[in-house]
Amino acid sequence: MAISFFKMNPLTVKKLRRFRQIKRGYYSFLLIIAFLVISAAAPLLVGNRALFVKYDGELFTPVFTAFHPGTDFGFDYSYEVNYRDLADRCAAEPELNCSVIMPLVPYSPYEMSAYEGVFKPEPPNTAQKHYLGTDTTGRDILARLFYGTRIAFVFAIAFMLAVYAIGVAIGCMMGYFGGLFDLILQRLIEIWSNIPFLYMVIIVFSVIPSTFSIPTRIAILLLVLVLFSWTSMTYYMRTATYKEKERDYTAAARILGASTSRIIFRHILPNTISTLVTFAPFTIVSAITSITALDFLGYGLPVPTPSLGELLKQGTATLRTAPWIVASAFGTLVVILTLVTFVGEAVRESFDPKKFTIYQ
Amino acid sequence: MGITARLRHTAFAAAVLALAACGDKPAEEEDSTQFAPIDNTQEVLDYYAAHPDFFRFKTPADVPADMDWQDGSQLSEIGSPEAKKGGTWTERLQDFPRTLRLVGPDSNGSFRPFILDYVRPNFANYHPNEFELYPGIADRWAVDKENKRVYLHIDEAARWSDGEPITADDVVFSFFFFQSTYIVQPWYNDFYSNQLTGVTKFDDHTLAFDMPAAKPDMAHNALTWSPVPEHFFKELGPDYPDRYQWRFVPSPGPYILDDDGLQKGRSVTLKRIDNWWLKDRKFYKYRFNFDKLRFVVIRDTPKAFESFKRGELDRFNLNTPEYWYEKLPDSDADVQDGYIHKVRFYNEIPRPSWGLWINRAQPHLDNRDVRVGINYAANWDLVIEKYFRGDYVRMRTTADGYGPFTHPTLTARPYDIDKAMEAFAKAGFVDRGPDGILMNDKGDRLSFTLTTGYERFKDILPILKEEAAKAGLDLRLEVLDATASWKKTQEKKHDLQMVAFASQLEMYPRYWETYHSSNAYDVPFLEDGSVNPNRKLKTQTNNLQSIALPELDVLIDQYRFNDDAEDMKRLAHQMEEILYEDASFVPGWVQPYYRVGHWRWMQFPEGFTTKHSRWEYQHFVAWIDEDIKRETKEARKKGESFGPAILTFDQYKSTVE
Repeated sequence: MAISFFKMNPLTVKKLRRFRQIKRGYYSFLLIIAFLVISAAAPLLVGNRALFVKYDGELFTPVFTAFHPGTDFGFDYSYEVNYRDLADRCAAEPELNCSVIMPLVPYSPYEMSAYEGVFKPEPPNTAQKHYLGTDTTGRDILARLFYGTRIAFVFAIAFMLAVYAIGVAIGCMMGYFGGLFDLILQRLIEIWSNIPFLYMVIIVFSVIPSTFSIPTRIAILLLVLVLFSWTSMTYYMRTATYKEKERDYTAAARILGASTSRIIFRHILPNTISTLVTFAPFTIVSAITSITALDFLGYGLPVPTPSLGELLKQGTATLRTAPWIVASAFGTLVVILTLVTFVGEAVRESFDPKKFTIYQ
Repeated sequence: MGITARLRHTAFAAAVLALAACGDKPAEEEDSTQFAPIDNTQEVLDYYAAHPDFFRFKTPADVPADMDWQDGSQLSEIGSPEAKKGGTWTERLQDFPRTLRLVGPDSNGSFRPFILDYVRPNFANYHPNEFELYPGIADRWAVDKENKRVYLHIDEAARWSDGEPITADDVVFSFFFFQSTYIVQPWYNDFYSNQLTGVTKFDDHTLAFDMPAAKPDMAHNALTWSPVPEHFFKELGPDYPDRYQWRFVPSPGPYILDDDGLQKGRSVTLKRIDNWWLKDRKFYKYRFNFDKLRFVVIRDTPKAFESFKRGELDRFNLNTPEYWYEKLPDSDADVQDGYIHKVRFYNEIPRPSWGLWINRAQPHLDNRDVRVGINYAANWDLVIEKYFRGDYVRMRTTADGYGPFTHPTLTARPYDIDKAMEAFAKAGFVDRGPDGILMNDKGDRLSFTLTTGYERFKDILPILKEEAAKAGLDLRLEVLDATASWKKTQEKKHDLQMVAFASQLEMYPRYWETYHSSNAYDVPFLEDGSVNPNRKLKTQTNNLQSIALPELDVLIDQYRFNDDAEDMKRLAHQMEEILYEDASFVPGWVQPYYRVGHWRWMQFPEGFTTKHSRWEYQHFVAWIDEDIKRETKEARKKGESFGPAILTFDQYKSTVE
C-alpha cells in the first residue's frame, strides 16, 4: 500500500479522489483518525492525575511524572494524592496559594466513587463530572468507555496488521508457487481452521498465568485470536496471486531476472492491493466484535481492564435500574461499528474494479 | 474476510447455543429395557460375608438392656397449627437437573435438596429451632459412648413412597450401596467405611452403628442420613450412573416424582403422596403443606425476577443489595400495595468462611509480617459499608456461627494503612516505587495475585485492589471460572484466594481438614520435630493456607478425638488465637440473615420460619392460602392496596456478630 501511495500512480489518485467523494465514508474515516489521534493523548483528557499543580510556588505536572504521596501536598497520607481533593482544597483555602488543573474527565477508569454512600450506579451527573454516570461499582463510565475503545482500536489494528502479515505472505506464496506446496498448505489450513475457535480461546484464557502483566496477557489473547483468524486472508490472496502471476508484466519481470520476493512484493502485491484495502475495515469490525463478545462472555481482556463487552454485560443485568450503562456501551459500539463500516463501504466502492479496471 | 468473519460469528453463536442446549437437554428418555437385567442379591450377600467385621448379624438378645433410649419427645412441634394443605409452590431452577440419582456423577447439584436433603427424613434430624435430634425414620436411639456405638430402632410404620416397608435390611444394604465403587463417588465410599465403621442388625427394626470416636455429637453423626431402598437397587451394577440416571428413588419423604412430572429441559413437578406415613406425627404434621412443588428452569436471574413480578414464582431471593434496594425497592408499587412482602430473617447457622486465604508456601507470603500487613491492608470494612451497603458484618474468626464454639471476643484486624505499612516495613518493604507500590532493597515489588472463582463477587476485587494500593500493596486480580479457580487452589498454586467453605449445620467447626500439617505437606516435619527441608506441598486438600504448625497440630489432634464438649470449646478458642497470630486468613464478611420477597398468599408461622435454616423453605413450614391468592390477584387488578409489609425478624439475631 505504501508503495502505491508514494508513487501515486494515476489509478491510485483516482481511487483516492473517488474515496473522498463518498462523503459518508470519508468523514467517518476522518472521525476515526481524529479519535485515534486524541486517544494517543488520553491521560490529558481522562484521568485522575492533574495536568498542572502549582503548590508552594512550585510547578508540578503529575500526569507526566511519577506518583506523589499525599504528604507532598500537605495531606497526612503516604499513598497517591487525590488531585480532586487537592483542587477542592485549593479552591476552599485561597491562602494556600495553590491551583490545580485537572483533565476534562477527572476520573481514572479504575477508581470507584460512592454515590449516596455506596458503590452503585450513579446516573449521569455534570456537577460531579460523571458525564455518562458510573457503572455498578461506581467507576466513571466515560473514562471506561474512552479507555475501553482505545484498547479495542489498538487491539483491532494490531490484529489486522498481524493477520495481514501472515495471511498475505502465506497466501501469496501459495498462489505464486502453486503445485504441491499450494495443495499441502491448503489442506493444512483446512484442518487448522476447523479447530473450534471458541474452545481454544477459553482453554488458553484459563491457563494464562495471572503473574503476567496485563499487557502481556492482552498480547497473548491477541496472539490466539490471530492464530485462528489468518487463514481466511490466504484464500483471497492465493486467488489474486494466481491471477496476477499469469499476466505478462509478471512474466516480463521474471525474464528480466527479478527475484521471487521482488516479483511478489514489488509487482504482484501492489496489483492485489484492492483486495487488501477492501477487507481492512471489515477485519477491524470483526476484531472489535470478537473482543467485545469475548469480554461479554467473560473470556476476554483481564479484569479490571476497561472494555466495551464488560460494560455491555453490566448493562444487560441492570436494564431497568441503570439504563445509562447499557445505553452508553451500546451507543458507543453502534457508533464505532457504523463508522468503520461506512469507511469499509466507501473503500470497497472506490476500489471497485468495475469502475476502474486496469485492463481494457 | 467480511463474509468469513460473519460466518465465523454465526458458527460462534451456534457453538454457544449448542453448549446451552447440552445443558438443557438430558439424555433421551432411558428405556429400562435397553439395560441387561441384573440381580445383585447374591453379590450383596457375598459382600456381607466377605466383610464380617463390618456387617454383623446378631439377635435381639444382644442389645444391651440398660440403654438410655432417646426419642426427642421433649422437643416442640415444628411449624404452625394454622397451616393449610394445598396449592402449588413454584420455584426457579437455574439449570435443569442433570440426573435424578441422589449420589454419583452430577448428583450434587442445586436441585438435589428438593429430592433429598430438604424432603427426605433421616433416621433423626437436628430440630431446626432447638438443635437436638427429633425422630424420623428411627423412632428411638441410644448412645453407647464406651463402645463408640449408636443403637437405633426403625419406626415400624416407616414406608418407602412405593409402599414397601423400610427395614433394617435396607439400612444394611445402604452400606453396601455407599461403599460400592459403582456409585462413582469416593466421598461416600470413605464416609460409610471410615466415619461409620460397622453396622449390626439385631432384628428387622433394630440396628447399631459403630463410630471411630466418641464425639459429643456422635448420635448426630450416626443418624443424620437417609437409607436407600434395597428392592429398588437390585440392579445396582457397573452401569449404575446410566441405568439410574432418570429414575426417581422411592422416598421415605412426602414428595414423589411420577412420569408426567418431568418436562425435560423445562420443569420438574413433585407431588405429595396422600397417605404419607409421617403425616400425622408431631414433627411433621404442620409441614410439607404444598400439594405440588413445581420447579421451572429460568437461566437468567433478571428474567426470573420478571417472572416473579408477574406472580409466576411465589418467592424470590433478595439477598444481594442490588435486588433488595434497586430492583425491588420498598417504593415498588407491588411492595407498597402489600402484594409482595419483603422479609429479612436473621438465622443461626455456621457461616461460610468468606475471606482471603493466604498461601504461606508462596514467596514472601511465608513471612508473617507480610501476612499481617495484608490483613491490615484489606479494606473489608469499606467493602461491607459501600458495596454491601452496611448490610453484612465483618467475619471475626475462621469459624463464625458455631455458638459457644466460636471464639467469644476475637475480631479481625481492621483496615489500617499505618499498621499495614509498619508490618510491611518489618519485612523489608520500605520504599514506594514510582507507581506507589512498596519495594524491598532487592527490588522486589510487594505484589500478589488475588484469585476468585466467584463471578458474582468479582466487583469486590477492584475495591480491595484500590484500597490495598494505598498501603503500598499491589494485588493482581484474577477472576476465573469456578472450576478453574478451585483447581488452582487445590493444586496450591494460588497466592491469595477469595473463597469460602460452607458447612452443614454442625455443632462445632472442623480444624483437621483445613489446618493440620498433614494436609499441607507430604512429610511436614522430620523425626526430631524440625521442618523437613524437602517437604512437598500436598495437593487436593482443604489446607489452603499451607499451614503447618506443630503446636496447632497438637491441639487439633486433642480436639479431633475428644468427647468432652467443654474441652473442645477451650481448644477451639485456643486454636483460633493461634490462627489469628498466624494471620494467614483475612476474615471477610458474614451475612447474618437472608432476605426474600414472597407474594402475599405465601403464609408463614409466627416468627416466619426456623432458626437454623439457610432458606425460608428449607423445612417446609410455609403454606399457600388459595383464598388469599384469589383476593390478592383481584385486588391487584382493581388496584386496591393492603398496605406495605416489609418485615424484619431478628429474634435469632446474634449479639456478637
